[in-house]
Amino acid sequence: MTSKSGSILLMKPSNIDCKDLQSYLKTRPPELLEKIYHYPTICLAVYRELPEISRQFVIRILFVEQPVPQAVVASWGSQIFAKEQAIATSCLTELNVWRVAAIPGGLPAWELSSTFSKNLKIALLGGGRPWSMSTFMDGPKPKEVSFLDTYAMSRWRCVLHYMVGAGSNSKIRENEGISPDAVRILLHANLMRRDERDGTPSITRQGFQFLLLNSQAQVWHFMLQYLDTCEERGLNLPECLSMLFQLSFSTLGKDYSSEGMSSGMLTFLQHLREFGLVYQRKRKEGRFYPTRLSLNITNKNAIVPSVGNDDDKVEENGYIVVETNFRVYAYTDSNLQVALLGLFTELLYRFPNLIVGVLTRDSVRQALKGGITAEQIVSYLQQYAHPNMINTESAVKTRSSLPPTVVDQIKLWENERNRFVYTEGVVYNQFLSQADFITLRDYALSINVLVWQSERNRTMVVTKNGHDDVKKFWKRYSKNGG
Amino acid sequence: MEKSKKFKKDGKRRKEEATVISHFNEETATEKESESLVPGAALKNAEKNDENINEDEYGAKDYRSQMELKLDHNNRPLWIAPNGHIFLESFSPVYKHAHDFLIAISEPVCRPEHIHEYKLTAYSLYAAVSVGLQTHDIIEYLKRLSKTSIPPGIDEFIRLCTLSYGKVKLVLKQNRYFIESPFPEILQKLLKDPVIKECRLKHVDITEDISSTDINPKKPLIKPSSSDDKEASVFIPDDIANYVDKIDNDEEDEINLNTVSFEVNQEHIEIIQKRCIEIEHPLLAEYDFRNDSHNPDINIDLKPAAVLRPYQEKSLRKMFGNGRARSGVIVLPCGAGKSLVGVTACCTVRKRALVLCNSGVSVEQWKQQFKMWSTADDSMICRFTSDAKDKPMGCGILVTTYSMITHTQKRSWEAEQTMKWLQEQEWGIMVLDEVHTIPAKMFRRVLTIVQSHCKLGLTATLLREDDKIADLNFLIGPKLYEANWLELQKRGFIARVQCAEVWCPMSPEFYREYLTAKQSKKMLLFVMNPSKFRSTQFLIKYHEKRGDKTIVFSDNVFALKHYAIKMNKPFIYGPTSQNERIQILQNFKFNTKVNTIFVSKVADTSFDLPEANVLIQISSHGGSRRQEAQRLGRILRAKKGALAEQYNAFFYTLVSQDTMEMSYSRKRQRFLVNQGYSYKVITHLSGMETDKELFYTSREEQGQLLQQVLMATDMDCEEERVPGELGGNQKPFSKRTGILSSMSGADDGVYMENKRKANNNVHPLFKKFRG
Repeated sequence: MTSKSGSILLMKPSNIDCKDLQSYLKTRPPELLEKIYHYPTICLAVYRELPEISRQFVIRILFVEQPVPQAVVASWGSQIFAKEQAIATSCLTELNVWRVAAIPGGLPAWELSSTFSKNLKIALLGGGRPWSMSTFMDGPKPKEVSFLDTYAMSRWRCVLHYMVGAGSNSKIRENEGISPDAVRILLHANLMRRDERDGTPSITRQGFQFLLLNSQAQVWHFMLQYLDTCEERGLNLPECLSMLFQLSFSTLGKDYSSEGMSSGMLTFLQHLREFGLVYQRKRKEGRFYPTRLSLNITNKNAIVPSVGNDDDKVEENGYIVVETNFRVYAYTDSNLQVALLGLFTELLYRFPNLIVGVLTRDSVRQALKGGITAEQIVSYLQQYAHPNMINTESAVKTRSSLPPTVVDQIKLWENERNRFVYTEGVVYNQFLSQADFITLRDYALSINVLVWQSERNRTMVVTKNGHDDVKKFWKRYSKNGG
Repeated sequence: MEKSKKFKKDGKRRKEEATVISHFNEETATEKESESLVPGAALKNAEKNDENINEDEYGAKDYRSQMELKLDHNNRPLWIAPNGHIFLESFSPVYKHAHDFLIAISEPVCRPEHIHEYKLTAYSLYAAVSVGLQTHDIIEYLKRLSKTSIPPGIDEFIRLCTLSYGKVKLVLKQNRYFIESPFPEILQKLLKDPVIKECRLKHVDITEDISSTDINPKKPLIKPSSSDDKEASVFIPDDIANYVDKIDNDEEDEINLNTVSFEVNQEHIEIIQKRCIEIEHPLLAEYDFRNDSHNPDINIDLKPAAVLRPYQEKSLRKMFGNGRARSGVIVLPCGAGKSLVGVTACCTVRKRALVLCNSGVSVEQWKQQFKMWSTADDSMICRFTSDAKDKPMGCGILVTTYSMITHTQKRSWEAEQTMKWLQEQEWGIMVLDEVHTIPAKMFRRVLTIVQSHCKLGLTATLLREDDKIADLNFLIGPKLYEANWLELQKRGFIARVQCAEVWCPMSPEFYREYLTAKQSKKMLLFVMNPSKFRSTQFLIKYHEKRGDKTIVFSDNVFALKHYAIKMNKPFIYGPTSQNERIQILQNFKFNTKVNTIFVSKVADTSFDLPEANVLIQISSHGGSRRQEAQRLGRILRAKKGALAEQYNAFFYTLVSQDTMEMSYSRKRQRFLVNQGYSYKVITHLSGMETDKELFYTSREEQGQLLQQVLMATDMDCEEERVPGELGGNQKPFSKRTGILSSMSGADDGVYMENKRKANNNVHPLFKKFRG
């Protein structure tokens, strides 16, 4: 008799982890944090993103040149908000903004990181080297904001479109190719994955989730991934970060000079240009314009004032109508939006400003097979629901703008695929006699660990936990019996 | 592979049986003859217009090159695809205008909440011109409503379908037949035709070839409701707003037009009609009942208490739009007051009226309706059924069933007399209730037996699984009006129904048997699934506690009896006598102790049970969309005192998981889903496990049940062949239930194929003239 143990690899659906600035920095090593606090821009950005109470703490002790007893800090707030205070305190600790210090008398105290306090002072009060980007010397040449917006969105859409389109069609439209560098980032970020057979990248589950984010969050997530790999490119992470924040503090429509930038930063600028974070007429031109995408980059919840022209506005505001009969109508002419919808709907007709599709079992299963979850489909439809969907009475009642039946059905289609219940177990087979089999089976049954058995094949499966007991019993039994 | 082959064979055999039983499919032979009788335009199908349009990379038909977006597209409500499909925004400010217009010219495909889909068909355009719309107006108005330019094919399609249609009318007035048209050149053309020339009635002194009459405008019979709200016109592009008024006026102005006409010989009507189709000018029949002095008026009027709802009024306005009665079909959901429309139509025409319905019970109900809404009394209304034969002489309204009329076997002397009388009469109006249930064949028979000047078809669901519905369009007349279910529901005219599909897992024992069982047994197994039984019991209990009145439907009689007897509830099925039925229904209505009844498919149509507000369906006729809609109709009547915002009626369909029932159920729901209904899937009834009073909870009981089901012989299945409709001695259409296996709906597919083949060479149009 042999026993085999087999465990089924259960794929845990890993979700995209979209960090904000704080949680990103919290996961960095303290040495790196210390390094980046040398840049006033970063200090300012970090300061702005702190919880309100933390900011109070920082500003109160910024000019106190010695450690402040923890008890004193705690006394600044009412005890009722002790919980909030604790959060604020730990946040500062984790970000390495302050650290515990001992003051004479053995009381624990807080001491601001000296680099941080020095550079924050520079950011707030001036002094030191100028930290904002230099403006162009021979007269400003401002650009139309709307022009920049259009440019930024069209560049960014290229990236998104590449993600949805790459797998299905090789036809690359003009202007829509993206550089191998960008592809590498997408692959690194696990947003796309190389196909095992032909090596072409195709979108992953996380990739779909990524597409569901608004563009501000998308850009931030993408940049984080970029920063992860920037060391490999020979770029200096703190420098890049600082540049990013400089951009985020810049003025829209104004031109800045790239003069005096290190070669690494010039490369970085070109990358930013590709993704639409900055506009530059020519690669060699020393003049560049930050776009809306790079503004407020740290804040993924920042309200993006309407991006671009009227059509885009509709798209941002929601353009999808889902009917109870599973019809999907989308007011869009953007290839990207259509491609996205095409991931999980069967598209029927395409009018100049409308696309008609239907959610079918097949189309949804196709998406599910591709690793997209029902939840993601629903939340996408929800996020871009047409304003008229939101105002219906049923929407008000159920607090969901989608027809409940459609939501249920999509989830049922997903459940349909998960009807197997996996139990880890150990197989016993090749018994020499029927009697042996029956004895062991009955034993397993009696201690309640039998999963499955077939008398004809003399095969049985016991649970993993029961394996030891059954094994012991078998040893005993075979010793006694022969 | 092996299995599917067998299945096919099975289907074939079953089909043959079905033909024998139901006399349904006999038309194929005769249809071939009429090949030449089809007007070319009616064969047109816009659906094919987009075949050579490229698909884009996502598999959608790319129409972008076919049309241009207008600059003010935001203010216009619709898109038109080259294949005749039209998409309408229901939230557009001009929705109301566009909606009325589209209803007139196209068939609604689906009308959920936000965006409606319509389809232009040869039939729908025929209907449009027959209610007085002009080709030019249709195209022009469509152009104005559309967000884009109109694809060229559509323009052409509309022209083709409308130019020759609806231009010539056959009018009966002062007992003489006239061919009438506002277009002298068309009449000239007709007169040049040798066949028609023959049939023309020559007066002794012809001075003029064509007599020109100026019809005095009559005030509209049904006054348009004055509350026609003119919305804030700021949102409406001027050209649309202006055109709406123009079209509205057109309809009523029509009677002011100078029409030309010539008289034809009554005996040659058939020949003329046939010939007119051949030369592509089909005749529209109209009845100028005001000027008909030959047939005596009957003395009925609507009671003052009878108030028409706006949509009822609108539908009747379509019928009597120009002071004459047009023949046609009015489609209203069950419970939305179809009978009142019928009664009003009869009261408007005020000539002898014949009402045809499909069961004895509904004959009674029609009589009730007449007495309730009109001044007619018992002496004026004559029932003619196998159970109730009132004296017909001197009555104004005769209510009977289709089967009584078309009965071919020997009748009693009394019935024979009545039939004779019936055939001799010239009926003013014929109201055909539930038209969709009757095969076209039977219709033709009715129409050859009974002479009537105008026909009004009433139905809730103008659809059949075999698509024969197109026949009706031309046998009776075009569809005059079709109401939007969702809108009526919103305005509280019909009940707000929560539809639910309850999934009942098959117990392992039943499922094992199911997988190996014969086709006919399979059905019994999934109906008798113990978890379905428990769900039914649970739902009944739940709703009885709430004080609801519940009807449980089961097509399978074995199951029906078993469920009802086990739960100790009254049940009605084929063999139940008329008396018993009425007794049970009365009890259900008034007895507070009888809150649940079990019924078989005999109650599908025309059982008016206004009290019922919960319906549980445990077995059904395969994938029949019509049955689903009909059954929903049983609980659709608006509930008194209910809030329109809340669900006040419940419609449950119980399906056994992982069986054929699931896919049937999908299919069945399509019609209602397209009307905007949504089905909630319930995978788990909470509280059912803990309920100790439910039957079949233990394995032993379930085992016994399984034994019973397995023991059930074919005899039990055959019981399904319910003998006849009410009374039992009538002929065959009630047998359309067929045998058990045909109920599974598996042969629907075969049916359709058969029909399609026939349709390829023959258009169902105008078949009635073959006699």
